[in-house]
Amino acid sequence: MSLLDWIVMAIVMACIVSYGLYKSTTTKDLDGYFLSNRSMPWYMILLSIMGTQASAITFLSAPGQAYTDGMRFVQYYFGLPVAMVILCITFVPIFHRLKVYTAYEYLENRFDVKTRTLTSSLFLLQRGLSTGISVYAPSIILSSLLGWNIYWTNIFMGGLLIFYTVSGGARAVAYTQQLQFIIIFLGMFVTAYMVVHLLPDGIGFFDTLKVSGRLGKLNVITTGSTDNGFNWNDRYNIWSGLVGGFFLALSYFGTDQSQVGRYLTAKTLTESRIGLLMNGLVKVPMQFLILLVGALVFTFYQFNQPPIFFNETQVEKIKSSPYNDSLQVLQKQYTQLSEKKQALVREYIGDYKSGKDARESSAALQEVNSQTEALRTDFKKILDKEDVRGDSNDTNYIFLRFVVDHMPKGLVGLLIAIIFIASWGSIAAALNSLSSSTVVDIHKKFVNKECTAAEDYSLSKWYTFGWGVFSIIIAQFAGNMGSLIEAVNVLGSLFYGVILGIFLVAFYLKRVSGQAVFYSAVLVELIIILSFIWPWIMKQWPSLPGILPVAIDRFMLVMSSISFLWLNAIGAIGVVIFALVFQLFSKRQPASV
Amino acid sequence: MHDEVNDKIPLFKSWKQWYLFVIGFLVVLIFLFYFFTKYFA
Repeated sequence: MSLLDWIVMAIVMACIVSYGLYKSTTTKDLDGYFLSNRSMPWYMILLSIMGTQASAITFLSAPGQAYTDGMRFVQYYFGLPVAMVILCITFVPIFHRLKVYTAYEYLENRFDVKTRTLTSSLFLLQRGLSTGISVYAPSIILSSLLGWNIYWTNIFMGGLLIFYTVSGGARAVAYTQQLQFIIIFLGMFVTAYMVVHLLPDGIGFFDTLKVSGRLGKLNVITTGSTDNGFNWNDRYNIWSGLVGGFFLALSYFGTDQSQVGRYLTAKTLTESRIGLLMNGLVKVPMQFLILLVGALVFTFYQFNQPPIFFNETQVEKIKSSPYNDSLQVLQKQYTQLSEKKQALVREYIGDYKSGKDARESSAALQEVNSQTEALRTDFKKILDKEDVRGDSNDTNYIFLRFVVDHMPKGLVGLLIAIIFIASWGSIAAALNSLSSSTVVDIHKKFVNKECTAAEDYSLSKWYTFGWGVFSIIIAQFAGNMGSLIEAVNVLGSLFYGVILGIFLVAFYLKRVSGQAVFYSAVLVELIIILSFIWPWIMKQWPSLPGILPVAIDRFMLVMSSISFLWLNAIGAIGVVIFALVFQLFSKRQPASV
Repeated sequence: MHDEVNDKIPLFKSWKQWYLFVIGFLVVLIFLFYFFTKYFA
């Protein structure tokens, strides 16, 4: 990075922190620290919930995801608008009426203490771990740009963030997110413009779409159908997006305190509802645009030589391994194919622009593209070898590498700053919610019920600090998780379904007691976690299928082959069904609602 | 927090209209995305 980039980055980051601290004056109690005295208008709620969901991972991984897998990832968000409507009808009015600090407080009213504690513990476990991954995401940028040690970078990154989150509470989180979002959108639009601007003369935006679409990157809608029927292992298609995405969004926005804590800061129920519904309107188009930037970057690299692998550290790793000769051969072939592809892209554009039959040039282009993809796969196979043990997923590095290599001075600094502040927005909200749940659901319930307002305030700050340190520790182990955006979503899907199931029973099945829902949730969570680690268990104990009853073995095999998005639906429906069954055999009556 | 029972609903006459608008917008988007995919494929 140039000096100008460093200056731009430092100014943007300093502005964000200063603005957050300047706006963070609230009363020194739980209401002020966690709920900003319930004073926020709808547009602050909207920016805050969007800023909480859109982390650095969104801006790092999503364009890379479009580059490698096309734009079909947008379908993952299709269930979100429907979830916003259900939230506004059922969840939000109840939370507002009861004036809760955390979503889990309601569960004690409805069921009992143990169900509240179980649910808040599942949240704390899941959110604590995924916040660690969110700390790691921007740290890889600094470490790869500056050659810094990743462990120290995590500490530096998390330390800056903890500073303003601990000081300012929910109000600082909301106001920084407001400014962050404006800067983020400005940066993404400028990037999209620059990608098209950097293309050769005579190649416009529409041409980039034609090339990208022809090479399969504009696959926004996919159905998941194959010759053998529906592919349940296909991660992103319209059905997994609508059904799995709906359950995930309902659980995330309705039961994850990092989101519930944002709309509980609204001054009225109406402001909360409008903020959530506006999120339902803008989220899908926003994600579409971010992915489109990735598709544009892909087209850019059809006219320019891309690196065979976007994570330079891994390339260096192979260079110093016994496979350096293989690497040289692969790189030579890759360069030759890329040059051929550049000529074919021009030929294809020339054909369709002049009205000629472009089928032949299009087929040739697709063929060469498949060959370059095959070379990339060969490269990844070397990284996977036992004596190399590299990270064969470069999705997170694609956009970053493009920015650093091709964006003009000053803009690189702005975009790097954007990645940082986007990350801060979501981590800050997560730390605030982790602290609120620990204080309200655990500490004040089991450790000290009689805290004064001043003690509550001080305790909240200490817990925020503690969770920040925990996230940094987790970040140190987040190195080999593949695409980070997927890692966060997979982790969420292991817990969100069960948490949502508990809330669905609470809202809609008035006759089910706490006892039934508690044991149902424990059982379903165990099944989901077991099915997730089943391939690993089979590897460790290959003789296990012979010992287990056939039905259980087959059930676990089916469960472990299902794509993670479906786990949200399975978890939620599983809790509801088992709770109903347990209630049938239980003599206990439900607690009053 | 204020008692919102009598809060005026912005833009539409009822919350039901708001909900239908959000769902309708999603349906329109999915159709547009479908044609976008087909056109550029």
